[in-house]
Amino acid sequence: MFGQTVWLVLRKDFTIEVRSLEIAYTTLFFAISCVLVFAFALVQEGRAPEGGAAGILWIAIAFAGTLALGRTFERERQAETLRALLLAPAARPAVYVGKLLGIVVLLLAAELVLVPLVALLFQAPLFAHPVWLASILLTGTIGFAAVGTLFAAMLVRARSRDVLLPVLLYPITVPVIIAGVRATGALLQPEVDAGVLQVWLALLVCFDVVFVTLALWTFEPLMTD
Amino acid sequence: MKPFLLLLVVLMSCGAAGTAVHAQQPPLQPQEEFVPIDQLPPQDQLPAAPLLVAAYCFIVLALFGYLLSLARRLTTVQRELERLEGDVKRSGGA
Amino acid sequence: MPNWFLPAAAICGLMFATAPILIANAPYESTMGLVQKIFYVHLPAAWMFLLGGVLCGVASARYLFKGDPRQDRFAWACAELVVLFGALTLVTGPLWARKAWGVWWQWDVRLTSSLMGWMVAVAYLLLRKYGGPGSDKLAAGLALFGLANVPFIYISVNYWRTIHPLTTVVPTLPTSFGVPLWFSVATFVLLFVLLLRMRVRLEEQRARVDALYLSMDA
Repeated sequence: MFGQTVWLVLRKDFTIEVRSLEIAYTTLFFAISCVLVFAFALVQEGRAPEGGAAGILWIAIAFAGTLALGRTFERERQAETLRALLLAPAARPAVYVGKLLGIVVLLLAAELVLVPLVALLFQAPLFAHPVWLASILLTGTIGFAAVGTLFAAMLVRARSRDVLLPVLLYPITVPVIIAGVRATGALLQPEVDAGVLQVWLALLVCFDVVFVTLALWTFEPLMTD
Repeated sequence: MKPFLLLLVVLMSCGAAGTAVHAQQPPLQPQEEFVPIDQLPPQDQLPAAPLLVAAYCFIVLALFGYLLSLARRLTTVQRELERLEGDVKRSGGA
Repeated sequence: MPNWFLPAAAICGLMFATAPILIANAPYESTMGLVQKIFYVHLPAAWMFLLGGVLCGVASARYLFKGDPRQDRFAWACAELVVLFGALTLVTGPLWARKAWGVWWQWDVRLTSSLMGWMVAVAYLLLRKYGGPGSDKLAAGLALFGLANVPFIYISVNYWRTIHPLTTVVPTLPTSFGVPLWFSVATFVLLFVLLLRMRVRLEEQRARVDALYLSMDA
């Protein structure tokens, strides 16, 4: 039942999104612009700063993610579908997980474009260890999206929600971003230190578990009037 | 006047400390214990004092400022409460 | 205000007046000299910062799951004190570090997570002020996530290489340092309780004003 609800919510979001692809295109373009702005700002004499690629990648993911979260829940607010979802005889945590997975898929799609772009513009050997990179991106994205989905959902009815989402989200997700950047940075070294990488990955998994658990626990009381 | 003097002292100490930094570069280790001594080594006396003064001044000013802010907010609410209670009484109870 | 408030405030004032004497008479530390005296305000401020964070998180959890508005008022008051004592910590720390480490700031784990924890508290206050109706519950949710950060801040120095003093410093403190420190800590705890009581009272008065407005409209 839980899994069915999650799948239904995910399919609903996917179906709506596929019709116009509005959020996908705009988020993607914004992320690309972000990376380009960093490239213009930081590149000197045709060379990118050392180790800049990891940070720029994650900043682009964070900014694009915030935008996508805001837009997704704005859409829900305008159609009043969030209330409908909450009124449905479905477990609230399942609704949360469904929306979380939708955001994660969207962000992973954006990362599919961002990673080659960053690798190209900053000459970073991001594809040297694709499995490690994929696990870092996945755990980091889940951690960021877990907190983001909860906060964006709870801010739907608040005033000043557009500016409050980043204000609330970034201080909480900074540890995830830091761990993601450090792990990606460790991956970009000529000699990859597996020990360091594992520590940061373990930390990312830890954050994911804590944040998803907290979010599941508080989603119900936060969304109830 | 006092904030300006304080700012001036802090700025000057930054300049002094900047030169002091070039002289001292010990290997930095996290401390596990604090070890007491009786006499202060002479080279430590002047540059540290402005920082110390600035720290304590900030503490006092911040706490005092917060107390003032609290007191101000409390009196505002108190006044509004009294006004409202007077209104309710005059209109003979809600 | 309750009966104990004024005597406690008087005692707190006296303690604040006598603390500098104790601090001035404490011996100098061997490697850091005069600037180490900032320790006697930096550490209590940091402990009150963390204490406020824990209290805010616990009160927020209770508000979120039980709905008692007193817990909400308590949480808001704690958040404000977290911002206050966090600011004290984050200013006195760099002033000390400038002399002791040679740099104003270090991006090590404790400083970074403390700064982020402080920003969560600031975000809490912004949310309460500008979020409109319903922001009390949202802020409670935020505080819970912030609470998860607090133990991380405290233990971080023991597990990651950093130049910030470790948590072994306080338990191994010689008495000559210990006396002024614990006196300072007691002063700050008393101050924390007094400020908390005042701030909670402010919220109680605001709640009474709201109730009066509502009863008039009815």
